[in-house]
Amino acid sequence: MKGLDIVRLEGVEKTYLMDRVKVPALRGINLSIEKGDYVSIMGPSGSGKSTLMNLIGALDRPTKGRVFIEGRDISKLSDNSLARIRREKIGFVFQQFNLIPRLTAIENVELPMWFAGVPKVQRVKRAAELLKLVGLGDRMKHRPTELSGGERQRVCIARALGNDPEIILADEPTGNLDTKSGEGIMRILEELNERGKTIVLVTHEREFGKRANTIIKIRDGRIVG
Amino acid sequence: MLQYIELSLKNLSYRKARAILTTLGVIIGITAVVSMVSIGEGMTKAVREQFEAFGTNKILVTSTMEYGVRGKGLTDGDVSNIEDIVGVEFVSPMYSVAAGGEFKGEEKVITVWGLDPGKAERTFSDVGGYRLLKGRWLEPGDRNVVVLGYRVHDDFFKSKVELGNSIKIQGEKFRVVGIFKETGDPEHDEAVMVNIDKLRELMGREKSVTAIVVRVKPGYDVDEVRQKIEDSLERRHEGVEFDVFTSQQLINAISSSLKVIQVVFGGIAGVSLIVGGIGIANTMIMNVVERTQEIGIMKATGATNSQVMRIFLFESGVFGFFGGMIGVLIGYIISTIINELAENYLGPGVLTTAVTPSLAFYAISFAILAGVISGLYPAYKAVKLDPVEALRA
Ligand SMILES: Nc1ncnc2c1ncn2[C@@H]1O[C@H](COP(=O)(O)OP(=O)(O)OP(=O)(O)O)[C@@H](O)[C@H]1O
Ligand SMILES: [Mg+2]
Repeated sequence: MKGLDIVRLEGVEKTYLMDRVKVPALRGINLSIEKGDYVSIMGPSGSGKSTLMNLIGALDRPTKGRVFIEGRDISKLSDNSLARIRREKIGFVFQQFNLIPRLTAIENVELPMWFAGVPKVQRVKRAAELLKLVGLGDRMKHRPTELSGGERQRVCIARALGNDPEIILADEPTGNLDTKSGEGIMRILEELNERGKTIVLVTHEREFGKRANTIIKIRDGRIVG
Repeated sequence: MLQYIELSLKNLSYRKARAILTTLGVIIGITAVVSMVSIGEGMTKAVREQFEAFGTNKILVTSTMEYGVRGKGLTDGDVSNIEDIVGVEFVSPMYSVAAGGEFKGEEKVITVWGLDPGKAERTFSDVGGYRLLKGRWLEPGDRNVVVLGYRVHDDFFKSKVELGNSIKIQGEKFRVVGIFKETGDPEHDEAVMVNIDKLRELMGREKSVTAIVVRVKPGYDVDEVRQKIEDSLERRHEGVEFDVFTSQQLINAISSSLKVIQVVFGGIAGVSLIVGGIGIANTMIMNVVERTQEIGIMKATGATNSQVMRIFLFESGVFGFFGGMIGVLIGYIISTIINELAENYLGPGVLTTAVTPSLAFYAISFAILAGVISGLYPAYKAVKLDPVEALRA
């Protein structure tokens, strides 16, 4: 069973230091996510959801414990090794969209491929396909400010798919969207899951959260169910 | 590489006004470098050309002491000694003095060059670039005849001195047989040329020589001949100061003092480039702060530290590149204007400044380098940003 876990956390703690005061954000997380699973993480504000996502996504290192991606311990890796894991294995979708304002939709989607050194022709071709996949085939040359919230979030998803990663981490992707656009984003994520991607979704919306195969509830930095 | 250029151009074009202001310092610095160096080079070239007119196969012997004053200066004896040295083609002694001149009752001190009449033309037509305007050179057998520098003919005296007129030197009459073209150098244009023996007689300095021009035979080493001349002079005049120059030495001496000027100019330009670099660094730090979130995005989407580093270094390098390009362009314009001015006021071909391709290349490379160096610290700051913190910004 363990061999199939694409993500595994063992005794993970994360403590932030604020003005010399230790702020525990995660206090001993044990967690396994199977390849191809659709997981939602729910919990009150400040419970440590984003912190957990950052650790799974190799953006951060735990204070204690170990994080495994595809069986490899990444908790002590160098900055560059972590960057390579993010580039190859992880696609992030954030609540605040986080697109680069100067770049057009397609250029934003090209970004992870750019860092991976994909040649321009291939990069542009794939970015266009991904934008079509999320229904933005006619918005490729638009800049983020010329797109609606839902459209921006779809650009983010397309970007997350750039290097065809196994894991999509979506931290409140519908948080800034109306119900209709939010539903659209959920559909895309679920479609990706059907195609085999592992989806980890943080959400405050119970209705959305309940649609996942696995629901993880978190409170005060601990998993409570 | 190409993709970095593409990305940094996009970033720069996003804030055009700021980009232009940022490059201003570099533009000024490079403009200064390019115009200074091109002017300096033009000056060096001008000097070199003047000396090359003297000919690289010539040696000039001068003494700070005149024979007779303490009995130790150059004399006819030295001239015949030098004539015997192997490799010497011909030797032309000169005697120059400030003498009393008089024309139509007007008395003025005038520089008089005494030359061997048979050698005057050979010596001076290629040494000083003297060309006749009217009449002829001194010829063997000439005694009381004179060839005038242009100004002496034109406006040195109240009335013009023409061919066939006579002027008095030290009270004795000399008939004008030739007039030189204007050289632009008053030292030459306000002098006259007479027979050396006649002049020394007049001045009571029968054997005295102030300078000797030596021409080296083709195929002989100029420096070797110069050494032999020095040795021979030292044997005859113990402890006397005299100078033996080859034109190459003169060129080198003057070129190196021009180099000093260029280095000083370069220093000034360098300082303005540093100021320009600080401007770039400042803008780049601002960029890094403004784009903190973006740096977070780049890292989240898989940028390594060295990629982030390169993105920011490229941007600052591009600042330098554009500053350099514009600077070279303005420098070129300035250099062209100076050329025009020099041509109008100094005459054609006297001072020709040039922005050579290699100067442009070095200036632009230097500007890029300055940009990249200025970007090091800001880029380092970008690299050091924690991706999680950056994303939250
Ligand atoms: N960089 C940081 N420095 C200090 N404390 C932090 C930092 N990041 C998070 N925290 C703290 O860690 C705890 C968990 O934060 P986290 O962002 O993971 O919560 P969250 O569950 O994502 O909340 P929300 O639902 O509001 O996004 C909070 O108490 C937060 O204040
Ligand atoms: Mg959060």
